[in-house]
Amino acid sequence: VLQEIKAGIPSHVSADLTSQPQPTYAETRERMSGNICRCGAYSNIAEAMAEVAGSST
Amino acid sequence: MKAFTYERVTSAKEAAAKIKSAQSAKFIAGGTNLLDLMKLEIETPQHLIDVNGLGFDKIEKTHDGGLRVGALVRNTTLAADATVRRDYSVLSRALLAGASGQLRNKATTAGNLLQRTRCPYFYDTNQPCNKRKPGSGCSAIGGVNRQLGIVGVSEACMATNPSDMSVAMRVLDAKVETINAEGRLSALPHYSWSASQWMMTSVSAHASGPSRRCLAFSKYDCAALSAYSAMEPPSLNVAPAIATIRALKRSRNCSLSTFVNIAASI
Repeated sequence: VLQEIKAGIPSHVSADLTSQPQPTYAETRERMSGNICRCGAYSNIAEAMAEVAGSST
Repeated sequence: MKAFTYERVTSAKEAAAKIKSAQSAKFIAGGTNLLDLMKLEIETPQHLIDVNGLGFDKIEKTHDGGLRVGALVRNTTLAADATVRRDYSVLSRALLAGASGQLRNKATTAGNLLQRTRCPYFYDTNQPCNKRKPGSGCSAIGGVNRQLGIVGVSEACMATNPSDMSVAMRVLDAKVETINAEGRLSALPHYSWSASQWMMTSVSAHASGPSRRCLAFSKYDCAALSAYSAMEPPSLNVAPAIATIRALKRSRNCSLSTFVNIAASI
């Protein structure tokens, strides 16, 4: 998911299609949707991704 | 799943020749729709022709200012292309609204247009369905059909095309470019093309004319405008149309294809 953002691939929640997407909470959630099972561990996964990406939730 | 044979082809002409001669054969590229349908035995091809080795993976500008998208360009690649994001944002938005990242990584431009309807009666093999088994009847008419067609339906079928990308391609006046076994090329509007015995090579689109006006709006506006313009080309008045569409969008919670049908029937 983070590599996808880094590669500049937009998502359904990207407000501006032409700018570089940022690893925001909304972007990582949207990109996990339909991709990673969200049962139970979802919040922790999102927080872990934010930590790796160096951004705050 | 029924047993089937499988082969890879190395040229588009060969692919078209094989689909013409083989019994009950289907092309396979991403397989994101076909494999699901095969598991449910809604599609039961005896032979699969894998076209992934044929190239057709370029996005290029045409000499007349349009865009040519190869049949095997993946949905993710097309949505992320810099030119598409800048000049054909309706296409990018439509693609990103569909499926999930994993599916978009595999699904192709041609396969997106060729995906089958999601009509629940098409999926239920215990029910009659003219699309699945011609002549058996339509269970959707008079059945649970909230997500199905309102305009452009017939007494035989009221299924809608499930593709969001297809709506954007309609707005962009897209043409499907194909080749047959004799090497003859053909280009037809994407909504009037049917698949038998031709191999799709690319889809060409134009961000010009009425379509360009739509590009700043959301895909819902584009889709509805497209429906308006298809019905009344000379009297299309953009501002009231957009206002009506936005009011409709607020008051209804429905799928894009249903929305287009509603907008078109105003």
